[in-house]
Amino acid sequence: MTVSRRHKAPTKSKYSLRDTLMSYAFLAPALILLALFTFYPLAYGSYLGFTEYGGARFGQGLPPKWIGLDNFRTLIADPLFLKSMVNSVKYLIIVPVLQLASLAVAVLVNKNLPGMAFFRAAYYVPVVTSISLAAVMWDWIYNKDGTLNWILTNAHLIAKDSTFGWLNNELTAFWAVMLVTFWRGFGYYMVLYLAGLQGIPEELEEAAVLDGAGAWKRFWSITVPLMKPTILLCSLLSTIAALRVLEEVLVLTNGGPLNSTYTALMYVYSKAFQGFNFDYGLASAAGLVVAAVALLLSVINFRVFRDDTGGGK
Amino acid sequence: MKTKTKTAARLLTLGLSLALGTAAAQSPVEVQFWTWYLSPKFDGYIKDTITAFEKANPNITVKWFDKQDTMVQDFISSVNMGSAPDVVNLNIDETSKAAQNSFLKPVDTLTPMSTLKSVYYPQTLANFTIGGKVYGYPWYGSLNEGVLLYNPDLMTKAGVKAPRNMTELLSMVKTIKDKTGAYAWVPALKDPGGASFLGYFFSDGLPIYDASGKAAFNSAAHVALLQKYVDLFKGGYFPEDGLRKEAFQLATELYAQNKVAMIVGGPQALNRIKDTNPSLYAKTVVTTAPLGKAQVQTGTSMGLVIPNASKHPAEAAKLAAFFTNNANQIAFAKIVPIVPTTAAAKNDAYFKKVSTDPIAKATSLVGASGQYINPGFKAPGNSDDLYKNFSDNIEAALLGKKTPKAALDDSVTYWNANMKK
Repeated sequence: MTVSRRHKAPTKSKYSLRDTLMSYAFLAPALILLALFTFYPLAYGSYLGFTEYGGARFGQGLPPKWIGLDNFRTLIADPLFLKSMVNSVKYLIIVPVLQLASLAVAVLVNKNLPGMAFFRAAYYVPVVTSISLAAVMWDWIYNKDGTLNWILTNAHLIAKDSTFGWLNNELTAFWAVMLVTFWRGFGYYMVLYLAGLQGIPEELEEAAVLDGAGAWKRFWSITVPLMKPTILLCSLLSTIAALRVLEEVLVLTNGGPLNSTYTALMYVYSKAFQGFNFDYGLASAAGLVVAAVALLLSVINFRVFRDDTGGGK
Repeated sequence: MKTKTKTAARLLTLGLSLALGTAAAQSPVEVQFWTWYLSPKFDGYIKDTITAFEKANPNITVKWFDKQDTMVQDFISSVNMGSAPDVVNLNIDETSKAAQNSFLKPVDTLTPMSTLKSVYYPQTLANFTIGGKVYGYPWYGSLNEGVLLYNPDLMTKAGVKAPRNMTELLSMVKTIKDKTGAYAWVPALKDPGGASFLGYFFSDGLPIYDASGKAAFNSAAHVALLQKYVDLFKGGYFPEDGLRKEAFQLATELYAQNKVAMIVGGPQALNRIKDTNPSLYAKTVVTTAPLGKAQVQTGTSMGLVIPNASKHPAEAAKLAAFFTNNANQIAFAKIVPIVPTTAAAKNDAYFKKVSTDPIAKATSLVGASGQYINPGFKAPGNSDDLYKNFSDNIEAALLGKKTPKAALDDSVTYWNANMKK
């Protein structure tokens, strides 16, 4: 191996110096923007997690004060943070459901039937619906006198005097908010899966049909393995999105009732941006914990969905 | 010759100094003014007032911005970036938090205390006093109780008359709901600002703090009052959405749909009802508000504050004083039913007019009541955390997870352990 390398004739780069410089020059602006708006805030935010910064310190123009792990100790001792972390992790239940449903619907709308474009667009509408409009609509649905209770009472599934506001009940609010997240995310992942499906060579499907493979067999043997990179991407994106749920919670329940819908990002948001008693140090520490959990789950995602069809190990 | 040269030099120096001094005094100053949720509805009033101010102060120009839900974040960021506004519109609670966190300049260092005392009601000035210093020029206010407005059809159907006090109001909540199906009233159950039950306690003459400044809202009387609300909530006599939505918004929404019989609050509720249900607006009866055992109104007001980071505090003070003076507050009251915070307002002829129009009647009932604007308690240090804890405990009591006594005991314990001095 070593010998062969030594005796290998020096290969000439297929790119000239000018081409190489040109390539880096084109990449540089994006890298500078990333450094400015992503890497620097990330590094500075991580640093702030170990400092006392905010409130009166900020008002007096004093710099951050290094306090080591104190913020993390405060977080561990705060029942609200622990509850918010548990809720965020519980929120991950949505990930497999969302992925399976959007993949299944993507397979259905991938068929070349007349009018299919309408279905593709219709499923995407919730993605582009503003959260405030969605909140008003779902409020009507979940209200004590709302659509959901009307349907359930007319279907004799619940008694008329047993109706309740689905967002006001500790047992249902969490799932009710999660359904809104599902509704909002479903079309987005469906479009990604659709793009993945359309990248599968038709010849493979045709050959499998000729070999006598049924639809189910073709789905598991051809579609799923070839869609693994897309499944990994979507799974990763929805895992991170589930950990970062904020908007739905803020507009629908504001974390209640009894903090049953209070998520980790809501904790970060309330510590950093609500009122003058803001605590950037504590909020950054909480953000770091959420990021660490997201990183761990990303690693798990990579392991579960790694490409073992030949490209991987 | 030497003396002549010296004299000439002195004269030249004096002349130059005078010229520079005059130039400095007359150099134009731009003052940045931030209001909160006033645009676009009150653009005309704000712009006219700014024009009048600039005419009276030719060397000052005002750059106006209306901030909305990001006001506090924008304020904090602007201070950090070195581009702080000069005059900022904050409410009593936010002023208190901002002052506690060293963001504000005491305005009694810019305007003599005697002047402040001569313009504003003592209580409205006290609302902006933190640690013995005044941090805001009191601006337009509102009263929590304000007036009582009711739907006469629902009241007749229930066989009740307008309540004269809070005890009567609470006693008719069941009757109205049982006989009409409509809620009697939508109380503020949960408020991130902590105002709801802390306000009810104050209205009933129950203290929030003890003499040493410690939280003390867990006596038997406090518990008994909370218990009344808990029982009514559990019985379905208050809308359960009250735990999730702002009471004023929910009350006006339900009232316009004939689902609530009474609203206790400011005349501004009538504006919404006029828009959404004009026929109900026309028959709505306006009368004096039922008060708690302490027989006091509670309320809040906006103020104009000067940030420590303002580059032109003297000019900023001029603008703040101008906007909050009696004439300009009365002019504002003529556009929207606010309660002026100036002492001279109580004698203004505008509030003595007799009218049958609900908004006009409500305005004349509350317009001259600025002396009653009093939140009832000072925001504690670390108030965001403490209010959240209080709200969570109230919610736990209403939803039956804790007894009212346990909820108040737990909250008092938390407050006393976490209240920053």
